[in-house]
Amino acid sequence: MTQHRALFQTEQIAAYARASGDMNPIHLDEKFARSVGLPGVIAHGMLQMSIAAVVAGKAAGGPQRLRKLACRFAGMVEPGDTVTFSAEETEPGRLQLRAVNQHGDVILTKAYAEFEPGLPPLEDNDDA
Amino acid sequence: MGIEGREYPPVTVDIDAEHVNAFAWAIGADPDDGVPPTYASVYSLGATAPQLFGDEEAAIDFGKLLHAEQEFEWNRHPQVGETVTSRARVASDVSRRGLRFVTLETDTTSSDGAPMCTSRALFVIRS
Repeated sequence: MTQHRALFQTEQIAAYARASGDMNPIHLDEKFARSVGLPGVIAHGMLQMSIAAVVAGKAAGGPQRLRKLACRFAGMVEPGDTVTFSAEETEPGRLQLRAVNQHGDVILTKAYAEFEPGLPPLEDNDDA
Repeated sequence: MGIEGREYPPVTVDIDAEHVNAFAWAIGADPDDGVPPTYASVYSLGATAPQLFGDEEAAIDFGKLLHAEQEFEWNRHPQVGETVTSRARVASDVSRRGLRFVTLETDTTSSDGAPMCTSRALFVIRS
């Protein structure tokens, strides 16, 4: 199983907003986020999925081998949250993805990846 | 129902090195591994979602919008320096119990027209 623990911080969320072009104020402006009923700014679902994809890419033996990625954004991620992402090959060419926060809440459901088999997947454990 | 079946004009996107590197850095990917797969959120979904959000007849209130599900499928991933074209259509638009579910499907092709990526985004809009 390939695993990575990620601490979400406002700086990374802002960097993702700039890099992706998704400047929705719910990710950047604390006051705006509260005004629409959120506890505060939240991370982009696509940032969560992107980190899951990095982990999936390692498990697949390289990100360029990914052929499909899918997930449901099931929980909010706030700055200060730590999310453990993991990828496990359940059948050849298919990875089950998981993302669980520090409270044990699953934040991505129905999450999986498909990749081009051929080379064996890399077994590594990246806790950086 | 709603705006189901609506198609938006094609959008071309340059896969720019500086932009790709900034994206890779933000998600913790190694830029030496090539264009990160989820950079499709920029060249596919990100290029076309503003067409939906800016469509007056679609009447989507950005403040009540949630990105609920996402799926990407690739024939191959783009390379830095390529120009790709993304075309989006509203695959479904359904309302039930005070929620509206809009699926935006985007097909991205390479400059020779070969299919590269399909993005399916499900948005939920609270009423």
